[in-house]
Amino acid sequence: MSVLRRATTWEISESESSDVEAKPDLNHSEAVTKTKEAQSSEEKCKTVTATKREFGQTLSTPRPQGSGTPSPGRKRRTKEEIEADRQKAKERKEERERQRAARAQEKEERRQEQLRRREEAENLKSLRPENCLKCLTVRIDPALLQQDGSDVLLDTLATFEWRFSIESQQLSHSITWSRDLPQQGEDGAVSVEEEQVVLVLSVADFMDIVISVRKMLDSEGEETETGSSLSPLLECLNRDAKKVVTLLVTDSELNYRTNACGKPLLDETSQSKLGLKNLDIEEVLVYLQLCKNISLVFLDGWQDVTDHVCALTKALSKRPFKLLTERAELPFCVDGSWASGVRVERDGSGLTEVWSKQIQQLNRVSPAVASAVTASYPSPQLLLQAYQSLASEEERKRLLAGLLVKSGGKERRIGPEISARVYRCFMAQNPQLVLD
Amino acid sequence: MKVCTKSPEKLTLHLYLCAFVFLQAINSLNKYPLPLRNAKEAKILQNFGDGICKILDEKLQRYHRQSGEEQMKNDTILKKKKREYVPQRRSRGYAVLLTLYRHSQIPGSKGFMFKLELQTEAQPLCDKSFAVPDLGSKYTAWSSVSTLIQKNLLIKTHNPARYSLTEGGLALAERLAAAEQQETKVGSGGDEEEEEEGPGVVDLTVSDEGEEEEDRTHPTVGAAGQLSSDVDALCTSEKPQKSQTTSRNPSGGCLLPGTYEIILCVDFIETTGGSHHRKQELVKELQRNGVNFDVRKLNVGDFLWVAREKVAPVPGQLRLPAGRELVLDYIIERKRMDDLCGSIIDGRFREQKFRLKRCGLRRPIYLVEECGTAASHLSLPEATLQQAIINTQVIDGFFVKRVQDVRESAAYLTIMTRFLNKLYQNRTLTCRSRELEGDVSADEDRGIPSSSLISFTEFNHGALKNKCQTVREVFVRQLMQISGLSGDKAAAILEHYSTPHSLMSAYDRCTSEAEKEKLLSTIRYGKLKRNMGPALSRTVYQLYCTLGPLS
Repeated sequence: MSVLRRATTWEISESESSDVEAKPDLNHSEAVTKTKEAQSSEEKCKTVTATKREFGQTLSTPRPQGSGTPSPGRKRRTKEEIEADRQKAKERKEERERQRAARAQEKEERRQEQLRRREEAENLKSLRPENCLKCLTVRIDPALLQQDGSDVLLDTLATFEWRFSIESQQLSHSITWSRDLPQQGEDGAVSVEEEQVVLVLSVADFMDIVISVRKMLDSEGEETETGSSLSPLLECLNRDAKKVVTLLVTDSELNYRTNACGKPLLDETSQSKLGLKNLDIEEVLVYLQLCKNISLVFLDGWQDVTDHVCALTKALSKRPFKLLTERAELPFCVDGSWASGVRVERDGSGLTEVWSKQIQQLNRVSPAVASAVTASYPSPQLLLQAYQSLASEEERKRLLAGLLVKSGGKERRIGPEISARVYRCFMAQNPQLVLD
Repeated sequence: MKVCTKSPEKLTLHLYLCAFVFLQAINSLNKYPLPLRNAKEAKILQNFGDGICKILDEKLQRYHRQSGEEQMKNDTILKKKKREYVPQRRSRGYAVLLTLYRHSQIPGSKGFMFKLELQTEAQPLCDKSFAVPDLGSKYTAWSSVSTLIQKNLLIKTHNPARYSLTEGGLALAERLAAAEQQETKVGSGGDEEEEEEGPGVVDLTVSDEGEEEEDRTHPTVGAAGQLSSDVDALCTSEKPQKSQTTSRNPSGGCLLPGTYEIILCVDFIETTGGSHHRKQELVKELQRNGVNFDVRKLNVGDFLWVAREKVAPVPGQLRLPAGRELVLDYIIERKRMDDLCGSIIDGRFREQKFRLKRCGLRRPIYLVEECGTAASHLSLPEATLQQAIINTQVIDGFFVKRVQDVRESAAYLTIMTRFLNKLYQNRTLTCRSRELEGDVSADEDRGIPSSSLISFTEFNHGALKNKCQTVREVFVRQLMQISGLSGDKAAAILEHYSTPHSLMSAYDRCTSEAEKEKLLSTIRYGKLKRNMGPALSRTVYQLYCTLGPLS
């Protein structure tokens, strides 16, 4: 009986809204199964007590063994019969014990299963973006906060109520993220560092990097360049090759003209001063991409930097859940427009449209062709019957070929190719059979 | 004549332009006094080019086939026994059957072959090329395989496609193998030395029906840029010195440093269409920059790079023999900001990224153009777009490159091409087959560009959009047509009933309507293993078990 009670108190976290309807059903069906189980165990009890009663009867009637002559009219029980009875009783007892143990074990297993599912539900829940955000910490290098205008970053993070900490980063002037994992370690939460790193640079620093890389590429040498902002960056990547670094370059001093994307355009003076051409910048960017997987965005001040950091944070919060629930098994993307279903009422209305759309799932089948099929065979059962009424496979393949399709003004027929594919799809027993 | 004059009448609108050409042909034909038996003979006439001859042959073949079919019908009416289909020795059908048979006889063989594998192994047994269709024939080289499938000698399953023999096919192949043994015994001695391998490297550029449809909808355009002769028959001829093993092995075989060059491939859609000249400007810029590029139809992505074998012209042949091509790991999807808006709104955004992630190339790049566009022109707020771009970087793992306009895109592509050429200067490249070896994770060798690459043909073929469907795939999609039946749930149902037939049979085995109604309700789906529930179970039951028409 306690089993029933457990069913109603068990809750599952909500995921898709479509499951809101499913929830009461779920509990209901869970309760139903539990009731069934309770019933069956009840029945088992009944049988046991029945056996007991039966047993009791057989025991109560005969007298104990050596009590003297049995009374007349009573059947004489031989030693063997008594022994046999005792044996049976023993067996029944053992059987009961076994059943009891089995039930206890089942119960335990179910409990474990429930615990496991609850835990998994909790885990999944914690990975949902809104909860994941609570587990993320934005780590900001203090050097950044000395820059004018940088307070907008902290203010914004505070407004969002996201966690952040100001601590010295491996890479100066950078921002990183860490995420608490659902499991608890010995000293509290276990956290993992995300691979995304943002480095905020001034244009001057960026130009430094460009010059360094240029020199390196020209000399075809190793990455021995010291000084400038390049070496710490390269070192950081050498330490952990998995890091994905984005350079955010802002021009607070407005020393350079920029293009629409914010990229600095060097005029002749700058070019001669730096010893760089505009093309050099492009080449360095390509080098950074191909060899270091470093991307770059030119931005316009700290508000832009803040926006970028926030967008990154949101993306990081969405990622764990997305990765977990991605359906890699299905060979197609489930987000296409074809996947929107048709609403079907309790009485089944809407199913015609479903049937028609089902036929359209085959390659190169238009709505018009599907309608032609469903007009002649307005349900899967009717189509099945039609196929079954034909003797040969050839005839079945051709069943739909002659149906007329109304499309525009032209009068066409479905044709043998589509007819064969529909047949194969409907009647094949091998799921891996290729239709085309 | 009869066949020829049919042609103008059968013209559809878009062939209207060809009417003139056809009329010229008819004129020539009228003037010629002698009878002609086929299109090949007609070729000698003026105004009869390859195109017309091809169409003529098509008509002729169809005519013959139709009269052949009439013949067949007559035969069956007379209850004459149909002659069994036996492919001619060393025809394509023959080679395929024999190859599959031999493969199946190897102990521990997997029992099927992939397409590329099959083509490569079957080629030596066949006099005709698997890459090039017969001149004037409408049927591609792979059509023979379709014939075998139709005749229930072969069965094609799975995606990517696997080919295996049916029982009937096995029996026939056994006989062919026995006969072949006889032949080689008779014909051997001295011949083996000079035995010419058939036309060498197999090129999958021309493939089966599915792809043929695609090609037909994209006319080759003579616009700016070099057009690859790639789409139709790439006649490959084997360099006599090259060892046989490297050409026949779909996996393995390598390109030594200095024997290949890196060229940029531009999807031809990037060069045509649209009322602006923007697209053509890209190609012009590339030309001005002296970039070694090739316009071709890419089934996924807008730009990528291939390492192409350097080939020398063969004396006596006009067309350059096509060298092997391996595709580099980088693939670019170019998106202007307004395109990005549009694709997010209509759902293509996610689907495109999904296909890019599965194409086998491990370094996808998102090239976002017109980053400086005034946000007011766009149909989505800028913050939304920026978030979408950053999601692509963080969640999908793409590299994001932002540029201002087409010229910058061109500059980027130019520099990338030059850089890649430098990076691959001294590399030996090996060919890897995705079919046979599967994919490799992207985490390996972050900074070092990979040297183990897949062939361009395998890549492009694998990325086809409307690929062949399997029964199970279609069934899942069909189930999802019911609102409330998500991918999760459909996949769960599929684990129990993987075909419509299987599900309907299960319903049949139920002993009561109530049982049928509840058949699916206890199926568990998703990470949380939730119950499908009675409501959905009932809807599916109604769909597949209602005896009369649906409502």
